[in-house]
Amino acid sequence: MSKTKKSTIGHYEMLFIMPNKFTEDEAKTVIEKVEKTIADGSGQITSREYWGKKKLAYEIKHNSYGYYSLCEFDLEKNALAAIDQSLRLSTDVLRHQIIIKKSKTEEELAHDKKINEKIVAKKAEEEKEAKLKEKKQADTPEATPKAAPKKEKRTDMKDLDEKLEGILSAKDLI
Amino acid sequence: MNNKKTKECYFCVNNLEVDYKDTRTLKRFINFYMKILPGKRTGVCAWHQRKLATAIKRSRVMALLSATHK
Repeated sequence: MSKTKKSTIGHYEMLFIMPNKFTEDEAKTVIEKVEKTIADGSGQITSREYWGKKKLAYEIKHNSYGYYSLCEFDLEKNALAAIDQSLRLSTDVLRHQIIIKKSKTEEELAHDKKINEKIVAKKAEEEKEAKLKEKKQADTPEATPKAAPKKEKRTDMKDLDEKLEGILSAKDLI
Repeated sequence: MNNKKTKECYFCVNNLEVDYKDTRTLKRFINFYMKILPGKRTGVCAWHQRKLATAIKRSRVMALLSATHK
């Protein structure tokens, strides 16, 4: 494994929080600043996402709210530490987290597509089966309980009649 | 003995990736005390359980999830 063969550029994803002391517009200027630091370190921003003001799960430096922003960028691996350090020192950013993001190859994407199609097909089949079962269940239990109690009632009536007749005849005998 | 349902891995079955930003799905795998539930209970496979643990910890760092309940 020689180091020269490996690519020196990595794909990263960064999420950072700006404190609540800023207004919405000021927060956006801070984002521009952060992006500038990445660009200065010869990085290329591939995508950015602004989440807006959100409540933090716990207080960070007496801030219970913060502005979240997400960006993805390609950067040389050597330049990452400097950007990390500069963000850590800046007071404009409450907290940041840089994560190595693996971009999927075409083969993997195709594989994913296949699996997703399979899942969709499976779900459709399961739904069909469930519907059939429901129909069967709807057909069978309704037929049986309706028939059964009626018969019982009839038999009951017949039994009662017979008993009554028996009693009456017995009384007559006495 | 076979009364228990056989659980399937949520991420394998739906072909999903574990994402630390997606707190709504992460919340399925933590309990009231914000502790990470064991894979044995949630049915997550070992490979995804490892990803899930790091994802939950990452979202705790970024205050998307809290580490304790109030």
